[in-house]
Amino acid sequence: MEHEPVDVLIIGAGASGAAIAWSLLETRMRILCLEQGGHLTDAEYPSRKEDYELSRYAEFSCDPNVRGLKQDYPINSENSCITPVNWNGVGGSTINFLAHWPRMKPSDFRTKTLDDVGEDWPINYYNLEPFYEVNDLNIGVSGLPGNTAYPEYKISNPPIPIGILGQTLAKGFNNMGWHWWPSDVAILSRDQEGRQKCVNAGTCDLGCAAGAKGGTNFTYWPLLERAGVELRTNSRVREIQIDEATGLANGVLYHGADGQVHRQRAEIVIMACNGVGTPRLLLHSSSTLFPEGLANRSGLVGKNLMFHPLTGVAGVFKEEMKGHEGPMACSILSQEFYESDPSRGFSRGYGLHSGRSTTPMTFALGGYGVDNPIPWGNEHLEIMDNIYPYLAGLTIVTEDLPEEHNCVTLDADLKDSDGIPAPKINYTLGENTKAMIKHGEERAREVLLAAGAEKVLAKNDDNVWWRAGWHQMGTCRMGNDPSNSVVNSWGRSHDVKNLFIVDGSIFVTAGAVNPTSTIQALALYIGDQIKNNIQTLFD
Amino acid sequence: MLTQTEMAILNNILDQLIPANKKRELPSAGKLEIAAFIVQRASKNPVLKKDIASIVLYAQAKADKVSPNFVRQLQDNKPSEFESLITETYKGYYSRPDIREKLGLSAHAVHPQGYDVNKESEELLDALTEPVRQRGPIFLDPTGGKKDGA
Repeated sequence: MEHEPVDVLIIGAGASGAAIAWSLLETRMRILCLEQGGHLTDAEYPSRKEDYELSRYAEFSCDPNVRGLKQDYPINSENSCITPVNWNGVGGSTINFLAHWPRMKPSDFRTKTLDDVGEDWPINYYNLEPFYEVNDLNIGVSGLPGNTAYPEYKISNPPIPIGILGQTLAKGFNNMGWHWWPSDVAILSRDQEGRQKCVNAGTCDLGCAAGAKGGTNFTYWPLLERAGVELRTNSRVREIQIDEATGLANGVLYHGADGQVHRQRAEIVIMACNGVGTPRLLLHSSSTLFPEGLANRSGLVGKNLMFHPLTGVAGVFKEEMKGHEGPMACSILSQEFYESDPSRGFSRGYGLHSGRSTTPMTFALGGYGVDNPIPWGNEHLEIMDNIYPYLAGLTIVTEDLPEEHNCVTLDADLKDSDGIPAPKINYTLGENTKAMIKHGEERAREVLLAAGAEKVLAKNDDNVWWRAGWHQMGTCRMGNDPSNSVVNSWGRSHDVKNLFIVDGSIFVTAGAVNPTSTIQALALYIGDQIKNNIQTLFD
Repeated sequence: MLTQTEMAILNNILDQLIPANKKRELPSAGKLEIAAFIVQRASKNPVLKKDIASIVLYAQAKADKVSPNFVRQLQDNKPSEFESLITETYKGYYSRPDIREKLGLSAHAVHPQGYDVNKESEELLDALTEPVRQRGPIFLDPTGGKKDGA
């Protein structure tokens, strides 16, 4: 079935798809977004149900391989020590993300110049600064101004409570003379524009039934649909098509809600499918002009996959920490060891993020992102009585360096329910990351003891958290040199003039912070550049 | 799926996995008949069903009495089945509203009520962050505030 052509076709209704749609509204171009999932209704939020936690291990798992919902595609992670996690639906992973909202830092954009690792971005923090600001207002960000780890910027809502857990850890950082700051979060600390403030339910990963969390299903999409953007759900794009005469994209084929294959023509195609989904679709869109995958003359589509490898260290304190109360991953954050210091034995750095602890069930099952149940019997009682209630932990969030062998390819055998090859992840931890993790664990231990921990729980292996591939970056990176990048400095494919990518796949480096704030700022920046260049867009 | 006798064996095993907690007045998992929860879930999960059947069969063959030693044997000799069992036991036990309430959590659906977490006063936050602010900026600024392309 063929549809009326549109001016702008956006693939994916997540963080970046929504942001770019908002940016392009003022052009009055006809905008259509195709999203493989659907809307989540209020009744579907697990936290409104009695057995809400069980959903975490079933239909609301962060792991699409566990969920196996109709809108999910399988991911082959057999060759990876980290598996990608996501949500497929309106809002994308902003449905189940934990809303931690730090920006990238100026040095993140210049790692080659500063540290001779990675590549420099073709833009920098200050190009994005006005778009961080606009997006923060649109999303509703809460935090404390004055963080000395950043150039100054405004925050419109006061910080969320850091709780006894955050206060305890803060004292530890102060005792060590190390940086820390209350986390910036995309979570409302007060009611705003019809959205309720956070009620500290602690179920951020199960979607926010209160509407306090800045998922694009609450922030951008209601406004976009009222303004006339068409959001066509349960529509999975299988291929982007090219006019072989002009070399321009002219539309897509997609599997519709009716089970049929549809053709949608468009003047401009914008990909917002995340750092795994975007290269997958490009690789599946090969043609005579692009036998190695659409827009892949550089050979870099799918390569340089970066995650943020995570691990954690926990301290046992005298006082109950009530870690199940409050936003899950957001209390305080330290960037003491963020910038490079060669004396540490690795390049770049990491953040120490406080995680509020989880509920008894999730803790007993191994903790969030980990499948490793605690012991049974009397040892179980001992842990649940004398350790669990008194836990405060730190997550070491490491900067991954881009390495070409870390990549997304198409699986030869595994397919989704529409017969589209699944992505296959090939990923190993770099030596730089391993050194960083070791350093981070040691520093975490020191600061937990400085905070008054009576003991620090030993981690007896070198593993990183498995179900923790939240941040998927680098697989279609930006750059000024077409031989070394997939898109230019404003997200336009070097090879296909009317094809844009706006999600985390265009990141050049990963930083050591959650990427969504930067993903959305970048999408708004790209939207702005499209508008500035609209007269000569296809030249 | 299981006979009454088999359910009793399973509940005896669960009593070992999560024993009664006298300090907190929490019953053991078997006493709460978490076996029913597990069997119900197994009815929709063929792998779990197979694992539970295998465990019950093993117990019937090997144990006159379910003791911690027996459960250790079970764990050693049937590791993947045991992992299934322990996972489902923890889920069944800790998802019960009565248990959640005794552990200080919301017994019921956690929205819309949530939890009351006291907001820090401005004075407290100022005092806590003062040492950090005193140190001054800690970030590198390689372009000195200038945009690329400017």
